[in-house]
Amino acid sequence: MSGVFIEASGLKRHYTLGDQLVKALDGVDLQVKRGELLALMGPSGSGKSTLMNLLGGLDTPDDGEIKVDDKVVTSMDQNELAVYRQREVGFVFQSFNLIPTMTAQQNVEFPMIFSGVAPAKRRERASELLERVGLGDRMTHKPTELSGGQQQRVALARALVNQPSILLGDEPTGNLDSKTGVEILSMLREFNDAGQTIILVTHDPRLEEFAKRVVHMLDGKIVSEDTAAI
Amino acid sequence: MNLRDITSLVWSNLNRMRGRVIMTALGVLIGTAAIVVLVSLASGIQANATESFSSIGALNQITVFSGAAFVDGGREAQEATLLTPRVLADIEDWDEVEAVTPRVSFFGQYTLKLNRLEGSTTLVGIDPRAADALDLEAIEGTNRLGRLSVVVGSAVAERFFDPRNPNFDPERELPDLFGQTLQMEMTRFSDETGEAESRTIRLRVIGVLEEVGGESDTTIFMSVSDMQELNTWATGNRPNPDRDGYTQAIVIVADAADTIEVENRVVDLGLFAFSATSILQQVNIFFVIIQAAFGGIGAISLIVAAIGIANTMIMSILERTREIGLMKAVGASNRDVLTVFISEAAAIGLIGGIGGIIAGIGVAEIIDFIGGQFIAAQATAQGGAADPVSLSVTPLWLPIFALIFSLFIGLLSGIYPALRAVQLNPVSALKYE
Ligand SMILES: Nc1ncnc2c1ncn2[C@@H]1O[C@H](COP(=O)(O)OP(=O)(O)OP(=O)(O)O)[C@@H](O)[C@H]1O
Ligand SMILES: [Mg+2]
Repeated sequence: MSGVFIEASGLKRHYTLGDQLVKALDGVDLQVKRGELLALMGPSGSGKSTLMNLLGGLDTPDDGEIKVDDKVVTSMDQNELAVYRQREVGFVFQSFNLIPTMTAQQNVEFPMIFSGVAPAKRRERASELLERVGLGDRMTHKPTELSGGQQQRVALARALVNQPSILLGDEPTGNLDSKTGVEILSMLREFNDAGQTIILVTHDPRLEEFAKRVVHMLDGKIVSEDTAAI
Repeated sequence: MNLRDITSLVWSNLNRMRGRVIMTALGVLIGTAAIVVLVSLASGIQANATESFSSIGALNQITVFSGAAFVDGGREAQEATLLTPRVLADIEDWDEVEAVTPRVSFFGQYTLKLNRLEGSTTLVGIDPRAADALDLEAIEGTNRLGRLSVVVGSAVAERFFDPRNPNFDPERELPDLFGQTLQMEMTRFSDETGEAESRTIRLRVIGVLEEVGGESDTTIFMSVSDMQELNTWATGNRPNPDRDGYTQAIVIVADAADTIEVENRVVDLGLFAFSATSILQQVNIFFVIIQAAFGGIGAISLIVAAIGIANTMIMSILERTREIGLMKAVGASNRDVLTVFISEAAAIGLIGGIGGIIAGIGVAEIIDFIGGQFIAAQATAQGGAADPVSLSVTPLWLPIFALIFSLFIGLLSGIYPALRAVQLNPVSALKYE
């Protein structure tokens, strides 16, 4: 394995609710290598989603720095962040966030509209990824015509379509029953085996079997870490 | 993002809120249609007015009067310029001027007789050399006026009646004047005794003029010198234009574009002048104001429609908050988000605009048809000829302008909602329920 790919140091993210100060992140340091599969665990409100959003360039910290591949994400302006999200990051959400009027194929193609991929190339890459998540026969289906697990697989294909260097999943199995959840998790593991760097948030203890590294958070801080013996 | 992507994205988004888009576009449609109909009507009125004004005279003709005729009390009479042959010759020397002719009327009483028929109409004396410049085109015979010969307008024949059958019969057979000799019976009254005295002159019709739709259709033209002779008998004085000037003259300009300029120079000489062109210029300014006012009424309804578009877009953005968050998460730039939402608003404007232009032209046509029939019916009821009347005229620029304006209104009303979409925080947008 190469050296550090993602490096977060001293990350702070504070919210004020009325006169109450919420320290969603209170000084987080984290280093991730290329090709890792990292699980973030911790109780509700411990700051997992906040950290994910910062890593994905959807939010900016009040203090601290994030470097990805030696580029300082935390000092990027809005346009640079958009390009960063487009090229380097793929998101999978708990609630799949598919566009209801679009077919599976169109949903997967959607990010490539903004990255300026030629239409023929888009179709080709979208069907290729849908095949890989096992939905080659569901490409023209709308989200309402798909099961939860199928929808999350479409979302996964969409997250990967721009070939991001980091895949971020915030409780991707949270809305799925355990069997379907396991399907998604093993699919993620397959992509990781093929070299995809993945960071997941989960409450699901079964993830520990899949993750190679588990980081525990509490009250906006990283409290412990175990590395699975592979 | 290329145009094709924007188009298909906008199309599917509008399709999703079809009902609301139709309602909103209807607002734009009504506004655009109002502009098209009202401006078409204003243009139609203008076209009709222009037509009737140009029958005052050709656009390259300037009617000139001696300045003295309009100076009161005779105080400034010496300073005013008279229309002497010398002054006319000077004006004729100007580069822009094609010809100048005095225009002399008959000062006495007269009746024209042709066999059993009698008639009267305008008699005008002109310089025979100016006949071509005055556009007196003969369809029969010639316009080359000689001694005691006349050229008659196309409708002069209609001025002849049989005095024994005074009932007006529009279907009666009209005399063919060409080649005929008209008897002109003049009457004058003696200054001392007040007794009437008559004299008859024979005038040969050597030409009939083409119809021009103006005053000259009912005019009989003769040479100025003949007319001066007739006036000498009728008034008992021999006119002396070198000393007193002519009352009236016509300056014919080679290119109608120079009419106003020549008219101004004539006025600078101390003469009084007017032309159909300068009147038309005033009238046109008036109609431009009317068009702007009518267009403005339509524009106000389009502004109301713009508020409708903005409202629809704000609602749609609220409903699609998560989707906007997603767009940002997958790497859409602020510019992309702005483009998508402004395009959606512009498309609503465009759809309404196209509909409005079609509806507007349709309504204008209907008004034209119904109104035209009404006016034709009125005209026939009053015994006049039913000339086809155009109540509304849609100039080509109008639909183009209306389309661009409705598109622009859409664009404009999309700006604020689109900016709101851009400013959405992606994290909270993705959490939005
Ligand atoms: N927009 C916000 N405004 C105010 N407080 C916020 C906001 N977003 C998050 N927080 C607070 O920050 C803390 C961390 O939130 P975060 O969403 O990161 O937790 P989490 O670990 O993802 O929890 P869960 O497992 O329930 O998703 C919470 O206390 C939360 O109330
Ligand atoms: Mg969370």
